Amino acid sequence: MSIDLLVQALLNGFGLAMVYVLVALGLTLIFSILEIINFAHGEFYMLGGYVTYYVYALFGLNYFATLGLAIVTVGLAGVVAERLIFHDLRGKALNAFIVSLGLLWVMQAGAQLAFGVLDKPVPSAFSGIVRMLGLVISLERLVVTVCAIVLIVGLYLFLRLSRPGRAMRAVAQDADVAALQGVNIEAVSALGFGVGCALAGGAGGLLAPLFAVSPAMGALPVVKAFIIIIVGGMGSLPGAVLGGLLLGGVEGLGTLFMGSAAVNILGFLMVIVVLLVRPRGLVGGA
Amino acid sequence: MRIRGGTAAVVIMALAAAVGTATPGATQDKTLTIGVLGPLSGGAASYGVELVRGAEMKVEEINKAGGLKVGNDVYRIKLVSYDHKALAADAATAANKLVFQDKVKYIIGNAVGATCNAVQTVTEPEKVLFSFVCWGTNNLGPDKPHSFRAMLSQWEVAEPFYRWVKDKHPQIKRVAAISPNDTSGKDTNTAVVKALKGLGFEVAADEYYERGTKDFYPILTKILATKPDMLDVAAAPPGEAGLILKQARELGFKGPKGWTAGVNPVTVIGIAGKEAAEGVWSPANINVKSDFVSATVRRFGEEYERRYKEVPGVIAVANYAAFDVFTKAMQDARSLDTDKVLAALTQKPFDTVWGKLVLGGKETYGIDRQFLYPVVISEIRDGKVVDIAQVLPTALKK
Repeated sequence: MSIDLLVQALLNGFGLAMVYVLVALGLTLIFSILEIINFAHGEFYMLGGYVTYYVYALFGLNYFATLGLAIVTVGLAGVVAERLIFHDLRGKALNAFIVSLGLLWVMQAGAQLAFGVLDKPVPSAFSGIVRMLGLVISLERLVVTVCAIVLIVGLYLFLRLSRPGRAMRAVAQDADVAALQGVNIEAVSALGFGVGCALAGGAGGLLAPLFAVSPAMGALPVVKAFIIIIVGGMGSLPGAVLGGLLLGGVEGLGTLFMGSAAVNILGFLMVIVVLLVRPRGLVGGA
Repeated sequence: MRIRGGTAAVVIMALAAAVGTATPGATQDKTLTIGVLGPLSGGAASYGVELVRGAEMKVEEINKAGGLKVGNDVYRIKLVSYDHKALAADAATAANKLVFQDKVKYIIGNAVGATCNAVQTVTEPEKVLFSFVCWGTNNLGPDKPHSFRAMLSQWEVAEPFYRWVKDKHPQIKRVAAISPNDTSGKDTNTAVVKALKGLGFEVAADEYYERGTKDFYPILTKILATKPDMLDVAAAPPGEAGLILKQARELGFKGPKGWTAGVNPVTVIGIAGKEAAEGVWSPANINVKSDFVSATVRRFGEEYERRYKEVPGVIAVANYAAFDVFTKAMQDARSLDTDKVLAALTQKPFDTVWGKLVLGGKETYGIDRQFLYPVVISEIRDGKVVDIAQVLPTALKK
């Protein structure tokens, strides 16, 4: 097996890892602020895909403008979901678990009724490949990866530097103390849920031209997202990036040596090993 | 931001849960309820949608004409359909609902091999007549006398297709095949590999992927490293076949492409794009606008397009024909008793939308339960499906 092939396999694995990291960051952000796990997170990713399909593929709006629209639309949908559904479930993990599963089914069935069950193709925004040192890199995937990195950096700066971002971090650390300091918990919860969903919507918009869109498209990225946040660092942003790269690398290289069914369980094996050896995740705090 | 490790395992497991949507129905006097199963959502949804649509068209035709006259009784036909998402467990649940709750004696329509095996665990003991388009070899056999395949399978098309490839494109020596990792996929690749070896081709790769895969870069990198002359997306459903072809092109593959089990090239063109889909050969498809098809098929295609705003693939035509064959057999038997209908089914050829259709396949499966009709090889040219040759399956020649 040539070095070129190994490097190409690694490159393939890393290619989309950053997009799944976006989904993972949204999930972990919502968990941190509302202390609930949103099982319908993949459906917000799906919504981002459909916004891209209708606005970019059908109406021909500029791809980057469409991406921005997908992020804003899905973010607003997230705020609405938080206000109408999750608002009273803050900290009630079991109740939220059941409700979010219900929301998952409602959104999937709603998408089937509204958009149809068949895959809808979204034309490539960027065509062509870059050949370098015997490696092949799709221009489209390169752009998607760069966009995902920009969004991750944007989230980091938002959480670090902006007032609402600092409020979200304060609520994530201790909601009661944050409230005593004057932080509006209600507003921060809605904003946190909205930002989390917006990240999923952005990921859906990024991958729509690569994979087409369908009502069930949210299942796979959300599974990968859970693996990433468990392996990488239990809520840590650098940990999520590391988890994404690890998962991508393991899956990319694994395909060269084993069948697809075996490769699919590698991520879960990583989860088991991490939970046994370092339950906080590779970069997670105490 | 923190998430507890203990919650994580629960999260992953809960994500695997899946339940099908259903259209329940109830049997009434002088109403014949017929079941249709299929993946109506997910990557293989186009199969299920076409099955239901083909069934709907034939049923509406019969009901509009006053119903189905069987002996002295006239029946209105009622369809009951369930979505099994191409999952065997969901298919078994749906089959149980159809047989024990909806009391159907006929299930006409199902796709994806592993789901057919699951359905047969219910239909065979209950003597329910079951027609499907699944490509699993073991879906037919002497131990499954109530099961019928309504569409040519890999065993009928792979050999004549690759015989044609060898004859018309002798420069092709090495072929790589990729299919889903399930019964349909394994059987299709097995048939393709057998045909390739029998005809003197080299098998560059014989690979499988999990259904629902979207990113084929890893597996394609492995396949393209074997330097195949031709890539066969053998049993991949249209959505996934389109992604494979698109991503293979992105990775630099520009050789000939086949789709031995290809059933809806129009979807492939949409997903893959015109350039990546260009030149794909498919021996299992039907182009309802082609010169090779009868006027009946063309009329069916026009009506289908009027109703559903899409061009029908082969599965819609196959299930329409299956309803035609089964309802004619009921009339021949003058009874809805499945033993009598079974006897009528195997007695003579039927005039259908395919033209003359015979039940054969004993040489391959040990029992004559395979619908046989001519193979038409099509090619995608500039975003259009063009029929380029017609060949007969070996069994039909006999």
